[in-house]
Amino acid sequence: MPPSNLTISYAGEKGPVFWLALRTGILTVLTLGIYRFWAKTRLRRYYWSAIRPGGAPLEYVGDPLEKLLGFLVAVVFMAFYIGVVNLILMYFSFALLNANYAAYGLSFLGLTPIIFFAQYRARRYILARTRWRGIRFGLEPGAWGYSWRSMVHWIATLCTAGLMWPLTTLWLEKYRVSRTFYGDQRFVQGGAKGMLFGAMRHVYYALGLSVAATVMLVLYGNPAWVLVYLLSGPWLIYGWAYWRAESFKRMTEAKQLGEMRFTANPRPGRIIGIYALGGLMMNIVIFGVFFVAFLALGLVAGTTDLESINIEDMDVATTALVPVVMLVYFLFIILTRAMTHAWITLPLAQHFAEVTEIVNTQNIADIVQRDRDEFSEAEGFAEALDVGAAI
Amino acid sequence: MTGQDVNWVFADLARGERAHLTRVQVACYPEALVIGMPDGAQITWCWNTLRRVRDQADRRVMVLLHNGDPLTRLYLADQGTQEVVSRHARSLGKRDHATPLSKILLWAGGAVASVAVIIFLLVPLMATQLAEILPPEGEKALGDTTFEQIRTALSETGFEGRLRICDDPAGTAAMQAMYTRLNPDADLPYDVQIHVLDHPMVNAFALPGGRLVFFRGLLEEADNPDEVAAVLAHEIGHVVYRDPTRDALRSAGSLGVLGLLFGDFAGGTVALFIANQLINASYSKAAEARADDYAHGLLEKANVSPVALGTFFERLHEEHGDAEGIVAHFASHPQMTDRISAAQAAVDPNRDYDTILEAQSWRDLQSVCGGHGTPPSSGDAPAKKPWTQSE
Repeated sequence: MPPSNLTISYAGEKGPVFWLALRTGILTVLTLGIYRFWAKTRLRRYYWSAIRPGGAPLEYVGDPLEKLLGFLVAVVFMAFYIGVVNLILMYFSFALLNANYAAYGLSFLGLTPIIFFAQYRARRYILARTRWRGIRFGLEPGAWGYSWRSMVHWIATLCTAGLMWPLTTLWLEKYRVSRTFYGDQRFVQGGAKGMLFGAMRHVYYALGLSVAATVMLVLYGNPAWVLVYLLSGPWLIYGWAYWRAESFKRMTEAKQLGEMRFTANPRPGRIIGIYALGGLMMNIVIFGVFFVAFLALGLVAGTTDLESINIEDMDVATTALVPVVMLVYFLFIILTRAMTHAWITLPLAQHFAEVTEIVNTQNIADIVQRDRDEFSEAEGFAEALDVGAAI
Repeated sequence: MTGQDVNWVFADLARGERAHLTRVQVACYPEALVIGMPDGAQITWCWNTLRRVRDQADRRVMVLLHNGDPLTRLYLADQGTQEVVSRHARSLGKRDHATPLSKILLWAGGAVASVAVIIFLLVPLMATQLAEILPPEGEKALGDTTFEQIRTALSETGFEGRLRICDDPAGTAAMQAMYTRLNPDADLPYDVQIHVLDHPMVNAFALPGGRLVFFRGLLEEADNPDEVAAVLAHEIGHVVYRDPTRDALRSAGSLGVLGLLFGDFAGGTVALFIANQLINASYSKAAEARADDYAHGLLEKANVSPVALGTFFERLHEEHGDAEGIVAHFASHPQMTDRISAAQAAVDPNRDYDTILEAQSWRDLQSVCGGHGTPPSSGDAPAKKPWTQSE
């Protein structure tokens, strides 16, 4: 067969995802959080089905009830850990250090192995419930191995003030991808150790320039050096977007699935554009909402006789105000989340999907189905710890 | 193919065996959807077993499956046929759950039981033990943190950073005089600090490390200084027995577990909950009775009639009902009448009781926040009043 390629088309639209996120968000609040399993599943179904390699959509087949069950299983085990460990840490932090930030820090540290564990398990669940052309993806077990490796790499990264981050990213990606399957075919993540350092180069340049400017400023006290920040600040933002695009490109192009390869050409400028435009639109909407609310408030205040209010009415009103404030607060959060989906998450997914291509797909039909990964706990631990994927 | 009167259209079929889509033909018969395979074979899907995959991004394509065959998907793009399918298939939206409900109920029961055991047995038990051995410095730090949290949480709409502490010198001196008259120092592990917060709530509570907090509402509501003294003595009782510390440790353990259950949907909810929990600190009945007993003794020693404790709560209950802070706190206890009679029993009929403050000091104390009726700070008055009227 001659070599053939598959491009990825994207079918997601801002309007539908906004309403879906808004509706499911409201239902989540109204059900005290129980609907969140359905909300996440529905959003995933939408996002997955928007990605269409070769015109066939991905499908997310996770079951919300299965997610709820996994969460309940995790609660049975985690409740003990969190209740008792929090209490003990709180005690020690106040008894020995007279402060509670230490308790939060320690409590977080005690949770980190479980957080990485949960992240891997969540990924396994998500992949096991993802299909394309009717064939399942899958991830081999290996959550504890991932957990301790992540800890080691993160400690190394923290010790080197973040300089190790490109290496950490690649190593952890290798661990995950090399255990990932599509049907019976295993993915391979290639790439030499130094592969991702180049992708971070604009961040290094910008930081180096800022450090140099700071040193000169301190040494010579010439305020003109401050002007250098005008250059290094935007450069750092570009560097971050360049890292997002370039690290994705380099890692994607080093992946293999049998004889299949991938190419990707995300553009840093587009990533910055999505965030800038999305941020602008969200600010306009939020400002608009506040402006209208403020006008309404002003109208009420203008027609009220301020002298005739007595203290006792105020007490009652204050009590009644609490649910109103809570409701407004929740609506604000839900609205912000829905707008983030429509203006940031979806356009980013669209960009990364559209610039990616699968090459050498001529023998793809040789890939056969893999068995179902039952996985009764689903992503319960990630759910309980709130460290699951954003969608 | 068969039948000249039916309309065959093309569609794609994923059978879940190989990573390959089969181009098939589809026709709608009155009783079933028939799929014609390229090799001439036919698959029949009865209308009532047909399901549609929900939340698909691409609105032009209908993704269909057949109940009982979880892997096969039919991608139908033809608009006309989609309409026919929607008309014929009555249960397109039906959900067939693979997760048995009994299993969910079982684990839900397990989760509730485990959380209940931890919150109502394990955490209180440990909190009691740990509160006994927490050094006074640790308790002070705990109280300081909580105090600031409460001031921030109660600052109404959040326009001002924190709730104001009332520090009119004459009023503060009056409060101090009251405390000196009660003279509980011998019983206390550390010094007591008394604060009046500028808030209309009728409430007072003790924090870990010997901080006593009165709200302006309580001072204004009291008929005479003896009633305030009775509340003060009661709260000192809590400090003596370290009830606030125990409660703070308990909520540190329980809140983590509750946060786990509800999911930290909106981060601030938890903070709000903490403050609420601490203000309406629901000590056990035994702890309340113990603090009452202590208060009776203290008032008796200071030559103030202990009956003030009972009458104050009784009157507040009659005036405000159950909803108000301290009233709910005390009046909701079923043994309220017992407590009032206990207070009456503690009165020595042959004794000639004093009042704890003379008239001028009492006026000073009541106006510690800047006088009756006048808004405490011009900044928050306009923010509150319009809302009051709208309720």
